Amino acid sequence: MLVTGTPEAAAVVERSARDRRGALTFTLGTGCCESTAPFLYEDFLVGPDQEQVGEVAGVPVFAPDYLRHMYPDDDGMVIDVAEGVLLESFSIETEYGVRFVLRGR
Amino acid sequence: MADTKLFINGEWVEPKSGESFPTFAPSTGEKIADVAKAGREDAVRAIEAARKAFDEGPWPKMSGSERAGYLRKAGEIITSRQNEIAEIEARDGGGTIKKALFADIPGAASTFNYFADCAENVADVEERPASPFPPAESIVRREPIGVCAGIIPWNFPFIMASWKVGPSIAAGNTVVLKPASFTSLSAVEMVKAVEEAGVPAGVVNFVTGPGGSVGEELAQHPMIDKVAFTGSTEVGRRIMQLASSTVKKVTLELGGKSANIVLDDADLDLAVSGVLWGTFFHNGQVCESGTRALIHSSVYDEFVSMLVERAGKMVIGDPLSFETDLGPLVSPSQADTAERYVKLGLGEGAKLLCGGGRPEDLAAGLDRTAYFQPTILEADNSMRVAQEEIFGPVLCVMKYDSDDEAVKIANDSIYGLGGGVWSANADRALGVAARMRTGTVWINDYHMITPGQPFGGYKQSGVGRELGEYGYNEYRQIKHVWRNTSGSKAEYLHFGALSAALS
Repeated sequence: MLVTGTPEAAAVVERSARDRRGALTFTLGTGCCESTAPFLYEDFLVGPDQEQVGEVAGVPVFAPDYLRHMYPDDDGMVIDVAEGVLLESFSIETEYGVRFVLRGR
Repeated sequence: MADTKLFINGEWVEPKSGESFPTFAPSTGEKIADVAKAGREDAVRAIEAARKAFDEGPWPKMSGSERAGYLRKAGEIITSRQNEIAEIEARDGGGTIKKALFADIPGAASTFNYFADCAENVADVEERPASPFPPAESIVRREPIGVCAGIIPWNFPFIMASWKVGPSIAAGNTVVLKPASFTSLSAVEMVKAVEEAGVPAGVVNFVTGPGGSVGEELAQHPMIDKVAFTGSTEVGRRIMQLASSTVKKVTLELGGKSANIVLDDADLDLAVSGVLWGTFFHNGQVCESGTRALIHSSVYDEFVSMLVERAGKMVIGDPLSFETDLGPLVSPSQADTAERYVKLGLGEGAKLLCGGGRPEDLAAGLDRTAYFQPTILEADNSMRVAQEEIFGPVLCVMKYDSDDEAVKIANDSIYGLGGGVWSANADRALGVAARMRTGTVWINDYHMITPGQPFGGYKQSGVGRELGEYGYNEYRQIKHVWRNTSGSKAEYLHFGALSAALS
C-alpha cells in the first residue's frame, strides 16, 4: 500500500506545519462518520497496529493493519483536499475550512 | 453576519472573526441558517468564563435542591416549546418529526428532571466505618469536578446536549458545550432554555465551530477539568490523547457494531420488528444501533424473508411529515459513506438482500443525495462491512448454530456498546446477555435508554458511563476526609514509625 498527496494537499500540510510546533502525523480512519478519511494531527501517538504507508510533504502517513491487508499492492492512494465540507473531526486542516480526503485509484 | 451567536458568560456574543458557516436541511439541500463560527480565542473566552463561574460564582456553592429548581425549570421550558424545537431538530438533522417528538424532546426534558432529582437526593457526604485505633472518623465527600467540556454529535443533537449539560451542572460543575457543526440549531434552543430558567452567567457556555480549533481547545486547555465526548471512536482517541497532557477526567461514548442475537426460540414476528427497530431507527445513525443480526440457522431463512419484506414497507420521505418513517441521513457525505460500504461489502463477497442505494421514487421537492434505502447484506463477521461502523442504514445478517457461537461472533468486534437477545426463555437470554462483552444488552427490545440507567461502552466503544446515579457521580470528585479524634498525643503511636523523637 502506498499513499501520496496531491500538490493541494501538500500545500495544506505545509501551512499546518508552519502553524503548529509539534510533529505532524497523518493517520487513516477506521469507519463511522468519515470512513477511511485521513486525519492530520500534531504530536499524535501512533497505535501499535499502525505502520507507515507513505508521506505527504514530509509528513508520514500511517494506516492500520486491516487497511494495509486490503490494499497490499495498491500504490495509487492519494490524499487530496476538499473545500468547505466536514468541520467535525479534530484534523488540523478543519481550522482552515477544508478537509483532507483519501482517494483510491 | 450569522443567524446564531455564541453564549459566553451569560451573553449572546459574536465570534471574534465575525465568520459563519452554513447549515443545511439534508432533505432538500437548502441552507437553513448561517451559524456563528467560533475560533480558538472564543473557545478560550468561554473556558475562562466557565472557570470563573466555578471558582468564584454561586453555582457550586448552592445546595443540590437549589440547583434542582433551575434544572426543573429548564425541563419545563423545553416541554412547553416541544413542537417548535422538534421541527428545528428534524429539519436540521434529518431525523423524523416522529423521532423528535417521541424521543428527542421529551428525552431531554426528562434528563433534566432526572438529574434535578439526583442533585436533590443523591448524598453528598457518606459516613464510612470509623477507625478504632488511632481513633478517627472517616467521611467521603462528593464534590463537583469543576469545568467540564461537552462535545456532542449530530445524530441526537438536542438530547445529547441535555446529557452533557444536565448531569454536569446538576452536580455543581460549569460547562462549555460544543455541538456538532452539522446540527447546531437545536443546541441553541437548549442554551436558551437554560438561560431562561435563570441559571447564573458562566455556568453554561456555548461555542459553535470546527473540531480542529474549538474542539481541540476544549480537549486540551489547562482550565478544563473534564471532557465528555460522544462521537466517533476516531475523534474519541484523539480527545483522550489531548486530555492526557493535563490528566483530565474523560468520558467517551464512541462507536459500535452491536449485535442483535435471535435465538432459536425467539418469537420471530417480534424479533423481525425488533431487529428492524434496532438497526433502522434514525437510519442506523445511532451509536448503539444493532448493525449485525445473528440468526440461528434453524430459523434463518424464515426470519430473513420476513425481515426483507417488512423492511420494504418502511416509508422514506420528508422528515417533517408524520407519514415518514425514514428521513434523509444527516448529509450527502454520510449517504456516500453508506454507498461505499455497500460496494465494499459486495466486493468482499456479501450478498445484497435489499436496498443498496439511494431511493428512486422520492417525492418532489426532496433532494435524494442525502437519502439511502434501508439495506440488508448477508455477510460474514470477518468482512470489513461487519466490523467497521458505517453509521447508516446498513444491516449485516449472519447465521450461527449455537448460543456459544453467537456469543463468540457478537464479541468478535473492537466495539462493545449495545446488543440484543431475542428469546422466549428469560433465563437463557440472561445467560447469553451475561456473556456479551458490551455495555448494554436489551432482551426482547432495543434502543431503550432512560436517564435512570447507566449507558456506555466496553472496549473501544468508550470510557465511563453516562446517566443514572453512575453518570451523575462521574461528574463528581471523591474526597476522603479522615479526622483523628484522639484525646492526646500519646495515642499517635504511628508517629513512632518515623521516630521516637516525635512522641
